[in-house]
Amino acid sequence: MVLLGVSVLVFAIVHLVPGDPIQVALGTRFDPATYEALRERAGFNQPLPVQYVQWLTGALTGDLGVSFRSGQPVMTTILGRLPATLTLAFAALLVALVIALPVGIISAVRRGSVVDYTSTVFSQLGVSIPDFWMGILFILLFSLTLGWLPPSGYTPLTEDPLGWLSRLAMPAVTVGVVSGSVLTRFVRSSMLEALGQDYTRTARSKGLAQRVVVNRHVLKNALIPFVTVAGLQLAVLLGGVVIVEIVFAWPGLGQLALTAVERRDYPVLQGTVLLLALTTVLINLAVDLAYAFLDPRIRY
Amino acid sequence: MTEPAPGSAEPVLRVADLHVRFGGRRGVAHVVRGISYDVHAGETLAIVGESGSGKSVSTLSLLGLVPQPPAQVSGEVRFGGRNLLDSSEREWRRVRGNDLAMIFQDPMTSLNPVLTVGRQLTEGPELHLGLSEADARARAVDFLGRVGIPSPERRMDAYPHQLSGGMRQRVMIAIGLACDPQVLIADEPTTALDVTIQAQIVELISHLQDELGTAVIWITHDLGVVAGVADRVLVMYAGQFVEEATVDDLYADPRHPYTHGLLGSLPVLGVDRPDQLVAIAGLPPDPTDLPSGCAFHPRCPYQLDERCADEIPPLRDIGQGHATRTFYEVPDAAEETAS
Repeated sequence: MVLLGVSVLVFAIVHLVPGDPIQVALGTRFDPATYEALRERAGFNQPLPVQYVQWLTGALTGDLGVSFRSGQPVMTTILGRLPATLTLAFAALLVALVIALPVGIISAVRRGSVVDYTSTVFSQLGVSIPDFWMGILFILLFSLTLGWLPPSGYTPLTEDPLGWLSRLAMPAVTVGVVSGSVLTRFVRSSMLEALGQDYTRTARSKGLAQRVVVNRHVLKNALIPFVTVAGLQLAVLLGGVVIVEIVFAWPGLGQLALTAVERRDYPVLQGTVLLLALTTVLINLAVDLAYAFLDPRIRY
Repeated sequence: MTEPAPGSAEPVLRVADLHVRFGGRRGVAHVVRGISYDVHAGETLAIVGESGSGKSVSTLSLLGLVPQPPAQVSGEVRFGGRNLLDSSEREWRRVRGNDLAMIFQDPMTSLNPVLTVGRQLTEGPELHLGLSEADARARAVDFLGRVGIPSPERRMDAYPHQLSGGMRQRVMIAIGLACDPQVLIADEPTTALDVTIQAQIVELISHLQDELGTAVIWITHDLGVVAGVADRVLVMYAGQFVEEATVDDLYADPRHPYTHGLLGSLPVLGVDRPDQLVAIAGLPPDPTDLPSGCAFHPRCPYQLDERCADEIPPLRDIGQGHATRTFYEVPDAAEETAS
């Protein structure tokens, strides 16, 4: 249902964007006859609703059309980009969690301490510094000055594990630091809320050590709302790291979508956005399932 | 344990000159202002007062559960030969749940929603009594049975949301008593429950207390709740005790105008005169800005003594364990009608 709505929106917005893809594709070699022929081949001379139904029927059978630019099937193009995007998104999420969970928990437990203030300052910085700028700084430091890491590019894990890791490190940390900062704030506030609950006082009144109170009683409650936010972050990471992908020449879906916009490559753009919508829906489903696992009050 | 209470066995717990202050933006709130009392083995002591009188904070500080800062707790809480207020956090933890246990007002929020009843019951005995998982479980099942939970074995794996409010409070009581504490602090354990369940819970605690020999400190704002179970009653107002008496004495012959007011605000069955249900005018004072003299004087219907507004009346012993903090003792109801 959501996907159907998204498909209408995507289609409408893409076709409302000014600019004629065929004109763009032809460029200086413009010739009215070729133009008309190409328009017909792309189906542009048909009314929009008809075009939409054709596209949707195709999409349902896994056929997202053919790229205006490369002539490749859109599905193949997207699937080719998918591993790079998934790798970056999950690596960045891992970095974000490694930062957010310990820092957020300690900040909440030692509220008002030096650790808490330091983490507040750094997470504010992390949220406010533009990610592309941080990426550029990383490249300057680790590639140009220190020469430790290659500045850009992507190597599949299967080809060269070490190269994969060294190329992944900087973009993953860049994106991970930003979303880790957001998540740290969230872990902290959600922990503080759980720490102030009556059941935490009950746990303390039993004489349990602080460590046990936090690990057994507070953390599990605090993680329930956190899972939702972490899921949303993952959805953002899968679709929204366009600029970082460009900084690091990372061949992911964000870059693909951006190029598709520039070239008015409707089928590629529509396909990418539809796929990202699908992933978001799937992540939300996974979050709901995780809820049932974490919260005994929810059963499906 | 240097000075045993006169005429009775040594108290289990002795609170002396306990003060709790909270520093805040609006100034220092002096919430508990020098209260002292003894708790003897197996007895039931009731602390009665309105919301904000400091009764809950005073008992939370007996367990070291008032966070410092912002709070500042001073005085003496003498238990097992030492002043708990001087203990390290580690020593506190050995006392909490083990020697001094507490049950709280709202069973809906006081149990952890994501842990099973069994887990919440076994962790105390595992920690304090050094029981194995299996022994702790057996003990937990036994206590669930004692607090009147049907098929306790099956309930061990239930989550709090699967139980009713009354059942949850029974679980809280089982948790409180699971390590055989010497003193159980019951902080308004019936307030959040239906009236019919309230009576059952009062009955249950009283019954288990006899069975286990535990002393109970009942915190309540409802004099009616403690009438049947308490041995002694302490009436608290603005962080001080204003009257202390045996329960019968207090009901028959309240001397402090505040206690008088509290008793007057209780509905009496069979008396079909709603106009006789008297409310105490005004509100309890703001602990950051206490009135001069007797803290109750701005609300007091008598104010017959010129010292009321200037001097804090001392807690005066008027015989047979009855003490009151007032310059004007309300005369006995019997005397009043006779005159």
